[in-house]
Amino acid sequence: MASVASSAIQRGQVDLVDFVDWSSVECLNQSSTHSLANALKQGYRDDDGLHLASDADEQLLIYIPFMQVVKLHSVAIKGPEEEGPRTVKLFSNKEHMGFSNVNDYPPSDSVVLSSENLKGKPVILKYVKFQNVRSLTIFIEDNQGGNDISIVQKIALFGTTVDTTNMKDLKKIEEH
Amino acid sequence: MVLEATMICIDNSEWMRNGDYTPTRLQAQADAINLICGAKTQSNPENTVGVLTMAGKGVRVLVTPTSDLGKILACMHGLEVGGEVNMTSGIQVAQLALKHRQNKNQQQRIIVFAGSPVKYDNKVLAAIGKRLKKNSVALDIVNFGEADDAKPEKLEALLASVNNNDSSHLVHIPPGPSNLSDVLISTPIFTGDGDGGSGFATAATAAAGLSSFDFGVDPNIDPELALALRVSMEEERARQEAAAKKTTEDAPKQDKGGESSSSHDIMAEDLAVDDKRDNLPDDESALLKALAMSMDDSRSTGLAVRDADMSEASNDDQQLSLALEMSKQENLKDPSTDPEINAVLGDQSFVSSILSSLPGVDPNDPSVKELLASLQQSETQQKQDKDKDGNKGDK
Repeated sequence: MASVASSAIQRGQVDLVDFVDWSSVECLNQSSTHSLANALKQGYRDDDGLHLASDADEQLLIYIPFMQVVKLHSVAIKGPEEEGPRTVKLFSNKEHMGFSNVNDYPPSDSVVLSSENLKGKPVILKYVKFQNVRSLTIFIEDNQGGNDISIVQKIALFGTTVDTTNMKDLKKIEEH
Repeated sequence: MVLEATMICIDNSEWMRNGDYTPTRLQAQADAINLICGAKTQSNPENTVGVLTMAGKGVRVLVTPTSDLGKILACMHGLEVGGEVNMTSGIQVAQLALKHRQNKNQQQRIIVFAGSPVKYDNKVLAAIGKRLKKNSVALDIVNFGEADDAKPEKLEALLASVNNNDSSHLVHIPPGPSNLSDVLISTPIFTGDGDGGSGFATAATAAAGLSSFDFGVDPNIDPELALALRVSMEEERARQEAAAKKTTEDAPKQDKGGESSSSHDIMAEDLAVDDKRDNLPDDESALLKALAMSMDDSRSTGLAVRDADMSEASNDDQQLSLALEMSKQENLKDPSTDPEINAVLGDQSFVSSILSSLPGVDPNDPSVKELLASLQQSETQQKQDKDKDGNKGDK
């Protein structure tokens, strides 16, 4: 189902969707009909008919806490050509941010997504900044086409857990 | 039961001196706010409420979101009217206060009392609404006081831009005889999106005296008090009727000699009915008793005396049971009934019409029907005892 390039995972990295603490996941400015679960949850995110859309304007602020401390290696964001995100800022371990204070802190990493990324190619992050991640905040500042609404089809996070890295559990779909 | 942090924005501008809402617009707001705080904290004890004023010298936060009702009530004292509202600033400050709430799990809500004219245009209001929606803050707007043409439209625009899944509401309260708070109680601001505050709302309506119950006391909350009040009311009415008759009917007093026995029997009949009623629900028995007594219009003196006794006895809550007990004791001596009153009672249609006019009594209620049937049955028995009845002495 997935093409070679789009679902390649680095050797040693694990899809962190299993470690997400779903009870505290939050997304500001999401549309009520197109919510975060469509982009993040297993099953939903691979369904191209379901996506996350922004509501009042094109920015989105997504807060993802984890159940244990993880190291974040890379992130894959899939979206349509025009409404897919462009500038994405990631903040590690900042709780309950609002749109007013996203610009108060320097992001742990900032990425500009290319169209390749939007097809699913993961973006490698500054690994050193994400060694000890309890929660991740993703701020989608604008989208490719400058539209009023941003659309995200899938958000996948890759990394390892800090406590144990069970080599048997590593999913090796493809070598990078 | 939603966990919520609420900021209430009070309009304390010069427009609030007006008395078209009792006692003044400002005071009406204060009452409404007290009710809202109570409702919020009751629906979820972890809810917090804060208050700020929009006019006066400037936007001022009186109390940050807290679940302590006393603090909120205290800060509502000494509110002064003056200045002009700065609504945009007020909403922004409210948003900021909510942002720094202690419990980040609470949903954010702002309640704005829009009493003065709105001087902003739709675009500005839409921008504010958008920002609130973006930060997932719900907004309730209470439109009261000044009403100019553009105001409802502007507030609608604001609501439309902030509304997300019907979590925000706009209510219009025109000036009128009823209180601002009473009208508010029935709005979604109180009842929330589900049945969150409805329990409190019904209690609040009863407390506010807006209740549909006769004596401002909810029989569900306090049945004995409601019962006692109703009974004493009936008796007082009957006593007054009797007293009026007494003054106008001095001549027929001689007839009372013959009737006194029958009036005594009426009383005894009452007691007999009492006895039967003891098995019925309390309110129905009291109603029937009142009914029986109110039908004794023509028999004044003895009954008046008796009525006085009864009403004095039952005016006090605790003595009601004592009176009933005394009745029972008397009844044990004289288990007889008056055929006349029985005949009247036996007339089913008449009785049902009386009963249906009484509040809280359903003539189709099986226990009522049962009582009437039993009265009719005993009627024949009492006809035989009539002679015996006639020989009883006065009380």
